[in-house]
Amino acid sequence: MRNKIAILIAALAGLHLILLLAGFVAPYDPATQKRELPYAPPTRLHFEDAAGFHLRPFVYASTRVLGGDQAGSYQEDRTRVYPVRFLVRGSTYKVLGFYEASIHLFGVVEPARIMILGTDGYGRDEFSRVLFGGQISVAAGITATFIALLAGGILGSVAGYYGRWIDESLMGVTELFLSLPWLYFLLGVRAFLPLHLSALRTFFLLTGVIGLIGWARPARLVRGIVLSSRNRNFVLVARGFGGSDFYILRRHILPKALGVLITQAALLVPQYIAAEATLSFFGLGVSEPVPSWGNMLSVLEQYSVLVSYGWLLAPAGALIITSVLYGYLADALHSG
Amino acid sequence: MSYLARRLIRAILLLTGVSALCFLFTEMAPGTFFDEMRLNPQISPETISALRSHYGLDQPLLLRYGRWVKSALHADFGYSIAYNVPVAPLLWSRAKNTLLLTTTALLLTWLISVPLGVWAASRRGGLLDKVVTIGSSFLVSAPELVIAIGLLAAAVRWRILRVGGMMSIDFEGLSTSGKLQDILLHLALPALILVLCETAVIVRHVRASVLEVLDAPYIQAACGFGIKSDRVLFRHVLPVAANTAISLLGFSLAGLLSGSMLVEAVCGWPGLGPLMLEATLSRDLYLVIGGIMFSSLFTLSGGLIADIMLLASDPRIRREGSDAQ
Amino acid sequence: MKRIAGLPLLYVCLLAGACFAAKVAPEAAKPGEELARMADVSGRYGGHLTIGQRSEPKTLNPVMATDAVSREVIGRLMGDLIEINRSSQQTEPALAKSWKISSDGRTFTLQLRKGIRFSDGFPFDADDVVFSFGVYMDGAVDSPQRDLLIIDGKPITVTKVDQYTVRFVLPRPYAAAERLFDGLAMLPQHLLEKPYREGHFTQAWSLNAPTSEIAGLGPFRLKEYVLGQRIVVERNPFYWKVDSENQRLPYLDELVFLFVGTEDAQVMRFEAGETDIISRLSAENYNLLTREKARIALQLADMGPSLEYNFLLFNLNDLGAKKLDEVSKKQAWFRDLKFRQAISAAVDRESIVNLVYGARGTALWGNVGPGNKLWINQAIPHPSRSIERARELLKSAGYKWNSTGQLLDASGQPVEFSIITSSSNSQRMKMATLLQDDLAHLGMQVHIVPLEFRALIDRVFQSFNYDAAIMALGGGDADPNPEMNVWAYSGTSHLWHLGETQPATDWEHKLDQLMQQQMVTLDYAQRKKLYDRAQQLIAENLPFIFLGTPNILAGANSRVGNFHPAVLDPYTLWNADELYVRGAALENAGVR
Repeated sequence: MRNKIAILIAALAGLHLILLLAGFVAPYDPATQKRELPYAPPTRLHFEDAAGFHLRPFVYASTRVLGGDQAGSYQEDRTRVYPVRFLVRGSTYKVLGFYEASIHLFGVVEPARIMILGTDGYGRDEFSRVLFGGQISVAAGITATFIALLAGGILGSVAGYYGRWIDESLMGVTELFLSLPWLYFLLGVRAFLPLHLSALRTFFLLTGVIGLIGWARPARLVRGIVLSSRNRNFVLVARGFGGSDFYILRRHILPKALGVLITQAALLVPQYIAAEATLSFFGLGVSEPVPSWGNMLSVLEQYSVLVSYGWLLAPAGALIITSVLYGYLADALHSG
Repeated sequence: MSYLARRLIRAILLLTGVSALCFLFTEMAPGTFFDEMRLNPQISPETISALRSHYGLDQPLLLRYGRWVKSALHADFGYSIAYNVPVAPLLWSRAKNTLLLTTTALLLTWLISVPLGVWAASRRGGLLDKVVTIGSSFLVSAPELVIAIGLLAAAVRWRILRVGGMMSIDFEGLSTSGKLQDILLHLALPALILVLCETAVIVRHVRASVLEVLDAPYIQAACGFGIKSDRVLFRHVLPVAANTAISLLGFSLAGLLSGSMLVEAVCGWPGLGPLMLEATLSRDLYLVIGGIMFSSLFTLSGGLIADIMLLASDPRIRREGSDAQ
Repeated sequence: MKRIAGLPLLYVCLLAGACFAAKVAPEAAKPGEELARMADVSGRYGGHLTIGQRSEPKTLNPVMATDAVSREVIGRLMGDLIEINRSSQQTEPALAKSWKISSDGRTFTLQLRKGIRFSDGFPFDADDVVFSFGVYMDGAVDSPQRDLLIIDGKPITVTKVDQYTVRFVLPRPYAAAERLFDGLAMLPQHLLEKPYREGHFTQAWSLNAPTSEIAGLGPFRLKEYVLGQRIVVERNPFYWKVDSENQRLPYLDELVFLFVGTEDAQVMRFEAGETDIISRLSAENYNLLTREKARIALQLADMGPSLEYNFLLFNLNDLGAKKLDEVSKKQAWFRDLKFRQAISAAVDRESIVNLVYGARGTALWGNVGPGNKLWINQAIPHPSRSIERARELLKSAGYKWNSTGQLLDASGQPVEFSIITSSSNSQRMKMATLLQDDLAHLGMQVHIVPLEFRALIDRVFQSFNYDAAIMALGGGDADPNPEMNVWAYSGTSHLWHLGETQPATDWEHKLDQLMQQQMVTLDYAQRKKLYDRAQQLIAENLPFIFLGTPNILAGANSRVGNFHPAVLDPYTLWNADELYVRGAALENAGVR
C-alpha cells in the first residue's frame, strides 16, 4: 500500500512537472497558427528509410492536398528527411511567469513540423496546446474543487453537528442553491464585469464561480454523515471530558466525512475542468488564444469534428489520465 | 407532526425565495425576448416596444413579481411569450416525457450501481473492482456532451436503436404492444447515456462507503466470530454504508426534472429539457420561472425523502434531543 | 394487398391502412376556377418527405410568428398575393393573377384568381384580403410585419373594388413594392374574424388549436401535431397551382417536420435516413456527407454565396451621456478611416474562406456579394491582403511601433481593444480568432470576448459598452429596400452609430440620400446606378469591415425529385409544392 501511494504520487508529480514545464516539453507555441495546415493528422515517426534503420526517428513534411477527390487530406512529402533533434532552440516561453527560455525538449528543422497529436482548425499544434492547456485547467479544477469542498465540508459539518434549526436553515440554503437558475446569474455577472479580463482574473473568476455554485452537494453529503456521527459514543465521551465543539468536529467527526470528501474530490475535479467549457459560452472562461482543456473540448461538440478528426480527443484523454491518477490516489489515501 | 410542519414552512420559504431570486436574476441578465427582432432591419423599435408593453415586460420588477405571485396562488403561472399559451399546461405536457425518461434511468442506475459498488468493494483489488474503478473514472472525466454525441453517432452508424424523438412516425397505427415497444426503443439511447453518466458517480460513492465500513474493527470482529460474510454484509455493513447513498438518492430524486436537459437536447427527446433550454436563452420569462418553480418542487421532495430515509435507516440520528447540545 | 386472414388481423390492417391510406386526393378542377399553371414542373403523385428542424415551431399564427422555424411551417400552409420565386429572385403572380401599377407608382390594383378555395373548401375573395391587411396593420395586434406596410410613417390603404379586385394605395412611390406581398399570408376571414373581433387574435392558431380551425391557401394543410416531436401537414386538395400537365399540385401526400435539435443531430438523423431533406449545412457537415455519398444515396447542392454579410464593426456611437471612458478613448482610433483601412488590408480573407467556411464561401469587400446577381456592383475593388500596405497606412496616420513590436498611437498609447461575438455561432468565433492573429501582425493587441447572443445584442443596441463586434446582417431579400434601416443615418440598424439625429459625416449624408432616392426610383436600371454608388461609398468608408459570406449548402435523399435549393430563405422548401418522391406508386385515380 505504501508503495502504491508512493508510485501514484510520483506519477502525479511527474504529470504536474510536465505541465509546469509545458514550454520546454512542447515543441511549439500554442498560439502560433499555421493556416496551411488545418486539421492535420498526427505526424508519423519513421525509423526506416531507403538507407536502412536509424535509431533516431525522423519525420517527413506534411502537405495538404488542395484539389480533387482527396482535397483536405494530408500527404507526406518524401523528398526530404527531417530527423528529430533534442534540446533545440525554438519559440520563447516563460516558466512560472517570469523565467524566459527558448530551449525545447525536441523539434525538427523548419519547414517540417512535428505534430505529435496533429493540429486543430487553425493549424495550431495540438500537443503543445494540451500541455499548456493543462496548466490552467488542472490548477483551476483543483482550486475550484478545493473551494467547493472546503465550503461544503465546513457548512455541512456545522449543519449536521448542531442540528435543529441550524441544520434546517443551512439545508434550506443548499436547496435554494440547487434550484436557482445559474444561467441568468452568470449572464448578470458577465454584464457586470469589464469586457476583458486578465488571465489571473479569469482564473479567480472561474474558480470562484464554480466553487460558489458547487458547495451545495458536498455540504449535503457531509451533513448526512455528521448527523449520524455526532451522537456516537466517542463523541459523548469526548464531550464528557470537556472537549469543545471545534475540537470534537476536527478530531472525531471530520475524519468520518473525509471519505466522502475524497471521493467527491476525485469526481468533481474532472467535472469542473469540463465545466469551464460551459462557462466559456457566457464569456466567463479562458479566452482565445489561451488553450484550456475545457475550451479545447468544446470543439468536439460538433459531430463532424468528432467523427473526422479523432486526434482532437487528446484533451479528453489527458483529462481521463489525470482523473484516473487522482482517483487511484484518493482511493489509496482513503484506505491507507 | 411538527417535523412535517417545519418542513412545510421551509418549503414555502424556499419557493418564495426561489421565485424572488428568479425574478431578480432574470432582471440582472441583459437582453429581452424581443432582442432578436432588433437585428431585423424591417422591424421598427416602436413595434418592439409595443410588444414589450403588450406582455408587460416594461413594468417595474416589484410590480411584475407581485402580480405573478398573486396569479400563481390561483395556479396561473402566466403565458409563454414564444408559444402564446399558458405556462403550466405547456410545462406539464413536456414534464411527463421527461419523468418517463428520468425515472427509468433512476431505477436502472440504482439497480446497477448499488450491487456493483458493493460487489466491487467486497472483492477489493479483484478484476471487477479494477474495471469498475477505471470505467467510472473514464465516464466521469469525459464530458457528458461528448459521451452523448459519441453514443448517438454509434447508434446512427450501427442502426441498433431508434435515434431521436419518442415515437416513430407511424406510431398511431401500431398495436398497444407495438406502441410500448416503439417507445422503449426510443427511450433506450437517452436512458443509456443518463445511466452511464450517473452510475459512474454513484458506484464510486457506494464502493467507497462500503470499503470504509469493511475496514471497521467491529466488522473484522464479526467475521472473526464466524458470522457468514453475506450476513455480515447485509445486516452490518450495508445499513451503515447507506448514509451517503441515501443522500445521493435524494440528489437523484431532486434532479428528476432538470438532470436530463443535455441528453434530451441531443437525442431529441420531447421533454422539458429542450423547452427550458430554449426558453432560458430566449428569455421567455414566465416559462423559465414556471419551469424553475416546478423543478424546485422536485428538489424539495428529493431532500425530504432523503431526510426521512436517513432518519429511518440510522437509529443514531434519531437519538437526538437530549444528548446533543 | 393480402386477403383477409382473420378478423383481428383485418382490424389491425384496416386500422393501419386507415392511417396510411387516409391520404387526401387532389380535388378535380371546378369550372370557373382560375388555376396557376407552372409550365416547367412535372412529377409524380404520392409519398411523404421528412425534413428536420432545429427546434419546435412556436405558433401557427402567420401574423404573430417571428422565428424562422415557425415561419418555415406556416409558409407551406399559407398563400400570398404575389410571390418571389426564390430561384430567379423575381416576383411572380400568385393569388393575384395580374396587377396594374399607376403611372406615379403609388396605386396597385390587383386582380385575384376566381374560384379559389381555402384548404377547408371555403371560397377566397377580396374580403379575405381586406380582412388580412386589416389585421396586419392593427396597432392592437402588434404584428412584427406591420412595419412593412408603413411607409414614411403612413400606412398603406387597402380597399375592395369588387369581389375579385383589391386596390392598394401607398403614401408615396416605393420601388419594387410588389415584393412586399411575399410573406404576407392571406387569412381566412370565415375562421379568424371571430377571434379578432373578440380581441384574442394573438392566441389564435397556437399549436394546440384543432385542425378544423386552421385553413390556408398554401400547398399543404395541418394534419397533426405531436407535442414536442413533429408536425405533419397533408396535401391541400384545393391548392390552386397545377403542373405542366394540368395536374393539381402538390405531388406529396404529406410533409413531415421533425424537431431534431442541433445541426449535428440533424446531420446524424439525415445520415440514418430518418429525414429526407437538410438545409443550411455547415461546410464540415457538407464534406462529411460528401464522403458518405458512396454509402447512402444523396444529392448535395452547393448553391453558391448567400446574401448574408459578416463584418467587423467598430463602436462609433456618441458616448457622451454614458460613462464609458474606456471605450471613448479608443474611439479616436476607430473613427480614423486609415485605421479601419489598415485593418481591412490586414484581414486574411482567404483564410476565413478556407478555414471558417471550408472553402465553401466567398470573401467580401462590400455589403452585396456575388450571390445577389441583380444588384452587385462588380466595380468595387477587391485588394488582396497586404500587411505592408496596412503598416504604411498606420504610419501615415501617425501610429508607430515600439521595440517589442507593439503598435502605439500618436500619444504613445498601445493599441489594444476587444472584439465581442456571439458564443453560439462557431463560425464568427473562428473569424474572431483569425482576426486576432492577423491584427497581431500589426502590433495590435486584440482580445476576443465571446458573449451569449442576447447579451451581445444588449451591448450593441442598448448599452454601447463594447469596442468592436463581429456580426452578420442581410440574407432576407435580394432587393436593397429591406436594408434601408442599416444605411439611412437615422436607421435603427445603423449599427456603428445608432441614434443619429443628423448625419455624422459627409459620406453618411450622401449615402442616406442615395438610399432614399433608390427607394422611390421605379426603374431598375436607374436604381442600380444609385445603389452601385451607395455600395461604393460603403466600401470606401468602411463603416463595417466586410469579411465573408458562406455558401448555401443543402442536401436531400436521392429519391427527392425537383430538389432545387435556393439562396433565399426558405432554402429547400420554397418549392415544396413541386417536390415529389421518385419511385412512388401512383396512388390516385387520374386527376385531370
